[in-house]
Amino acid sequence: MELFELSVAQIIEGLQNRTFSASEVFKACLNRAKMLEPRISALLSFTEESGMAQAEAVDKALASGEKLGPLAGVPFIVKDNMCTKGIPTTCASKILAQWKPPYNAAVVDFLDEAGAILMGKANLDEFAMGGSTEHSAYGVTSNPWKLDCVPGGSSGGSAASVAAGYVPFSLGSDTGGSIRQPAAFCGIYGLKPTYGLVSRRGLVAFASSLDQIGPFTRTAEDMALVLDVISQKDDHDSTCSRRSRPDYKKALRADSLKGRKIGLIKETLGYKLDPEIKEAFDKTVKFCKEQGAEIVEISLPTMIEYGLPCYYILAPAEASSNLARFDGVRYGLSEDAASLIDLYMKTRAEGFGVEVKRRIMVGTYVLSSGYYDAYYLVAQKVRQLIKREFVNAFKSVDTILLPTAPTPAFRKGELVNDPIQMYMADVFTLPVNLAGLPGLSLNAGFSKDGRPLGVQFIGSWWGEEDLLSIAALHEKAYGTAPIAQGGVC
Amino acid sequence: MSELTFTPVIGLEIHVQLATKSKIFCSCSTDYIGAVPNTNVCPVCLGLPGSLPVLNAKVVEYGVKAALALNCTVNTATRFHRKNYFYADLPKAYQISQYDLPLAEKGYVEIPTEDGGRYHVRITRLHLEEDAGKLVHEASDGRLVGADQSFVDYNRGGVPLAEIVSEPDIRSAAEAKEYVARLRQLVRYLGVSDGDMEKGSLRVDANISVKCSDGRWGDRAEVKNLNSLRALERALEYEFKRQSQLLAEGKTVTQETRHWNDVEGVTMATRSKEEAHDYRYFPEPDLPPLLLPDGYVDKIKETMPELPWQKVDRFEKSYKLNETDAMILTEHIPLADFYEACVKAGASPQRASNWVRTEVLRIMNEQKIEIEDFPIKPAVLAQLVSKVDDNKISTTAAREVFDMMAARRISLEEAMSECGVEEGGISGSNLENMVRGILKNNADVVEIIKTGQDKKGKKQKFLQGLIMKEARGQADPKEAASVLAQLLEE
Repeated sequence: MELFELSVAQIIEGLQNRTFSASEVFKACLNRAKMLEPRISALLSFTEESGMAQAEAVDKALASGEKLGPLAGVPFIVKDNMCTKGIPTTCASKILAQWKPPYNAAVVDFLDEAGAILMGKANLDEFAMGGSTEHSAYGVTSNPWKLDCVPGGSSGGSAASVAAGYVPFSLGSDTGGSIRQPAAFCGIYGLKPTYGLVSRRGLVAFASSLDQIGPFTRTAEDMALVLDVISQKDDHDSTCSRRSRPDYKKALRADSLKGRKIGLIKETLGYKLDPEIKEAFDKTVKFCKEQGAEIVEISLPTMIEYGLPCYYILAPAEASSNLARFDGVRYGLSEDAASLIDLYMKTRAEGFGVEVKRRIMVGTYVLSSGYYDAYYLVAQKVRQLIKREFVNAFKSVDTILLPTAPTPAFRKGELVNDPIQMYMADVFTLPVNLAGLPGLSLNAGFSKDGRPLGVQFIGSWWGEEDLLSIAALHEKAYGTAPIAQGGVC
Repeated sequence: MSELTFTPVIGLEIHVQLATKSKIFCSCSTDYIGAVPNTNVCPVCLGLPGSLPVLNAKVVEYGVKAALALNCTVNTATRFHRKNYFYADLPKAYQISQYDLPLAEKGYVEIPTEDGGRYHVRITRLHLEEDAGKLVHEASDGRLVGADQSFVDYNRGGVPLAEIVSEPDIRSAAEAKEYVARLRQLVRYLGVSDGDMEKGSLRVDANISVKCSDGRWGDRAEVKNLNSLRALERALEYEFKRQSQLLAEGKTVTQETRHWNDVEGVTMATRSKEEAHDYRYFPEPDLPPLLLPDGYVDKIKETMPELPWQKVDRFEKSYKLNETDAMILTEHIPLADFYEACVKAGASPQRASNWVRTEVLRIMNEQKIEIEDFPIKPAVLAQLVSKVDDNKISTTAAREVFDMMAARRISLEEAMSECGVEEGGISGSNLENMVRGILKNNADVVEIIKTGQDKKGKKQKFLQGLIMKEARGQADPKEAASVLAQLLEE
């Protein structure tokens, strides 16, 4: 086994046993990334020097017997919409080219304190708006399983880098499916935690009431290890929950799904799915039964019927406000202009890409007087309705199973000029954000042409442990998914 | 046809900077006056990407205090909204404010009317929000007029504000001034703001329209740049005249924002940058709803200080002062404290009131100082006042000593000796010698009196005046009169 293939848990164990050093692991991962980057383009920047220095520090600490953090020596990558002190944080936008934040995002601090080592920053759809990572100002990321396909998005770079073995884990952000859909497309685990579990401080906001940071990993155990670290409370994020966090590793011990009720959404069963996705989904239903779970059919009519339009009103509305600060006055791109209004117009016209502009315009429109009641307010009511339907559903089930996306990874360019079709790909993921629920995508096989097939489990609020135990059992039953070779064998 | 009459209808929007140590959503200092530009800032108040607001609990406490003093109903479940607009002094391009659920609603301020009555100006709402930064425009020659470049200072950005909106209940410029004065006194009493209009910690925008007796009603103008009570009063008087005249000429008044020019004494329509703002308010997703816990408001009620009208009442009862005097003494808490300390140190309440209202305020004015820096301590003033009360020195002499203490910041004993004032003053043989001298120098007048020509006693009064003048108030007038009479008999 190569060092870059190791899981988080294996790296921790190997370092403790002196099987290898942190520097060796970091170099192996760096080499793997550098070898595949020309094909995959998952990263926007490397943090090679600081990473090597940190790895050496971990080795020194190990040698002197110092107590190490829970993730000491484990390399990771974060999506480039999370602030990293002194390191460019671009959001894959021209408007933030070379912007270096004076602070770390809370999760980056948590990981740093835990001893994990940042190796680079991942590509994304500009400001996390998109589902293919094609809307980046800095190039398109390829799916490491199939280079002519997209890795999904918006956290495509984070997903691709874990799938291809750059690092054992990465962080993404999920506003409407931006962790789960790329996890499905890249054949790995992706978790969007309950809204409020993980601090959003230092995450450049897209839609504040929907955004949530979560991990990508190749094993269920790693998911628990990373979640334990990033889900710390944070008084500097007023929306971060103050409830105490469990030890997520304990959730991995479940030996069956006996007594668990897993819901299938009636309205999604008739949905036109890719046949191979349907097959993977059915196989997962069977798995749940075999593990002793009871399958219950539930009805969530609003989420399927109105979730998509509701989301595409609320998310752009918040985005239009969140992105208004990029005006060329204080930081980032600033075009030469004759007046203040001219500065705004030139900077924003030049700095934002087409998808971001589209959403800013939609969001501005739905908040405008005369339209607010008809759009924003109605969408807020629909959101409440969706939440209420989930509350009712979770009275009769513990977890809900549905496909992550209607299709496997699509080809580059296939949907990029068809925003509506692109939005439709989020139909199964975005209701989860609207309700603030946790959702986990896992790999349930591959298509005949080698594309990963993902399914999604939705937990009740703060139900991450349920999701982790299902993931652990699934991994036990089907084995750990292999590492993508990025067209290199 | 009867003459048309006009009535102004005025409502005020007041922004009060709350005197918390740190800003409303971050821990930066609020002390921006005189600070080096952009030093009291952090990622939160600069609105850097990824930064998040955390509500300062002290701001809520101050807001509730002000709301209670304004007789408002406090909403225990409230929330914040985003008010979206682009401007260089607003780093997030939205202001976190309150919209549909303000912190407090439906209160009033009681103001005295000219006929001695009481009038309630109703408060529509009090809500919390963040202040913006400040733009400084500078031309190539360094002057501010005709600026071709602008600088922005974000030190003020994020300073907490309470916006207090009144109903259009005000019917004159004088009433408006009275309302603001009362409100300012309240926030100062509560210690929630320094209420300084010149420094901008209390900012007033006035909405004024005019109703004509023939039923016509002009559109309202919003008047800005009112940096003092005097400016507020003058601007409203000007606007009332301007709008009344338009209506009298059969013209219409247009709705607009007007800028008060204090030097010219006129209001001017602002360039119409105000083109129908659409602020696209929506609930601030970065802050959960603000839910005040049970008992929170009651607890704050318990910490409320004595309010101005309560103090007036107490001064009238405890010190037997009339209302006007009590109001003057209670205008500021420190002045009221000074007065009370003086009484406590033994001065008679009425005499202490006279001294504080006249002499103390006069010196404060002359020296342009606050009562906290007053050169004479209340206990010392009490000693001085008691000497007058006990007829040990005359009022005139006491005033002289008082002025000496104030001017030179010296002790009572030193000041008395500097002024040549002695307890007991000039009496007995000293007085007699002095009177003899005066009579000698005014032999002609003495002659008139002695020959019985001073029928109305005018000449004798003249001599009495001379004595008192020479004694510089240190002689007892009765004794002086009797000594004078006695010597004239000789």
